Order: sequence, then C-alpha cells, then structure tokens
Amino acid sequence: MPQIPSLVDDRVLRPAHTALGLGLVSRMDLLRLKSIARVYARGLPPELTWEDMLQEALTRIVTGSRRRPDGLTTVAFVAGILRSLRAEYWRRATHGSLGNGRVPMDRAGEESLALALPDPAPGPERALSARQELVAIRQLFAGDPTALRIIEGLGEGLSAEQIRRAAGLSRTDYDSARRRMRRTLLREGLTCRPR
Amino acid sequence: MPTQVRKGSSELVLIRILDGFAGELIDAPEEEIRAAAKDLGMDPEARMSAAFAGVTYPARPQPSDFFDLETTTRLTIDRKIPGEE
Repeated sequence: MPQIPSLVDDRVLRPAHTALGLGLVSRMDLLRLKSIARVYARGLPPELTWEDMLQEALTRIVTGSRRRPDGLTTVAFVAGILRSLRAEYWRRATHGSLGNGRVPMDRAGEESLALALPDPAPGPERALSARQELVAIRQLFAGDPTALRIIEGLGEGLSAEQIRRAAGLSRTDYDSARRRMRRTLLREGLTCRPR
Repeated sequence: MPTQVRKGSSELVLIRILDGFAGELIDAPEEEIRAAAKDLGMDPEARMSAAFAGVTYPARPQPSDFFDLETTTRLTIDRKIPGEE
C-alpha cells in the first residue's frame, strides 16, 4: 500500500502544501483544481465532497501512487484523477461496496478499469440526481442563451466545431461565450460555500 | 451530411457537460482566475486568501476545532480502516 508522507498523514500539512512545496503545482493551478473538483462533485451525494475529492487526488500525486504521463500537465492529470474518483464512487455505490465513501489508496490502480467499464444502468436515485444537477446548471447559465446552446451541445457529445455550426455561432461569439462560461464556473468554483 | 445528435441518459449528458466544463477550467488563463476571485472580493495573492478554503486549509470545521488535539490524534491512530487488517 503506498505510504502517505507522515506530515500529510498527521494533517500537519495538507496535500496541497506538499504539492506546492514539491513544485508539482502552482497556487493558480490549485485554484483551477478547486474549481474542477467542484465541477466533478456536482450530482454526488453529500458524503463525498469536492474538498475530499481534491485532497485525495492531490495525495495520489504527492505519494506517487499515480504517475503523470509525459506531455500531460499536472492540472489535466489531477482533473483526470478527480473524474475517476467520481466514476469510482458510482461504481462502488452501484455494486454496494461503498464503505465510508473513501477510495482506499491501494485501489488507485483500479481507476483506469473503472473508467473503461461501461456504466450499464444508473439507478433511479443517480438518474434523479443527474437531472436535478442539469436543471441547476441551466439555472446557473439562464441569463446567457449562447452558453446554454453550447452546454446543450456538450451534453449531446458534439465537438466544439459541431456546437459552433449547430448553434450558428461565429468563432468570436463562441469564444466570448466560453470566456463568460469560464468566469461563471470560476466564480462558482472559488466561492467559500462548502458545496 | 447532417450532424449526428447523440442523446443519452441524464447521467451521460451530465458527465459530458462536466467534462466540457473541466476542459475549459484546465486551461483557464490566470487573469480570468484573478478576475473571478476579485468578483468575489478575494485576493488570491494573499497567503490565507479565502480562495484557498478547502485547498490549503479546511473549508469546513474540523474535529480539532472543537476537541483536544492530543485526543484527536490518538483517535486517528487507533481508528481501524475498514478492510485493512
């Protein structure tokens, strides 16, 4: 089982401090990751918080239980870990093996398997939660019809170019809408609210 | 050729949207992060900036905020992790 550095284990230092100290991330990277953790925590039950997911993901890069492939930025790499933590949570919840909502460190290698496995039948609770979250996302961007069209395209699995064509947006309008969306997501992501 | 629309379950639609959001945030320029923080009245350059709540310090109250630290440490050490023998 990978060992957590003693200072992290004793909670003298949080994984973020260690990641900063080791030069794995910058302070701005941490703010990007905070916002991304909040994104991937959307629609999850309260027992698994964005904060827990972020600390777990950072611990994995600090301990070296997950190694970053060449050519991938640390932020993109940690974002992938956050995504897989979400998938792992639902996989374990679906199979009834969820203990306290935490994914043990020695299960880290199973993340890729969790991502590779199809997700055949989300239960009614999960489907309801997803629908509620989709409503919340639409409300968040309710004042921006262009952003809503882009979000609709994302939901349909369209590429950026397909979204732009389907919505009849110029490249400038599309980029402006993306900038507004980022600003909204960052404001939501950096807030001090627990969820 | 018409664009093929691929609909899916609510969860699939949600994860596609969340992936799209994460993709935007991965490359978010620093000036946009600073601007968003400023909107919230935060100074990300400050060491204990509220922007780092939940990242470099807990966003929620911790047991050590209410209980004696030594007791908390002992409880942490004594606690058995489920499935780990």
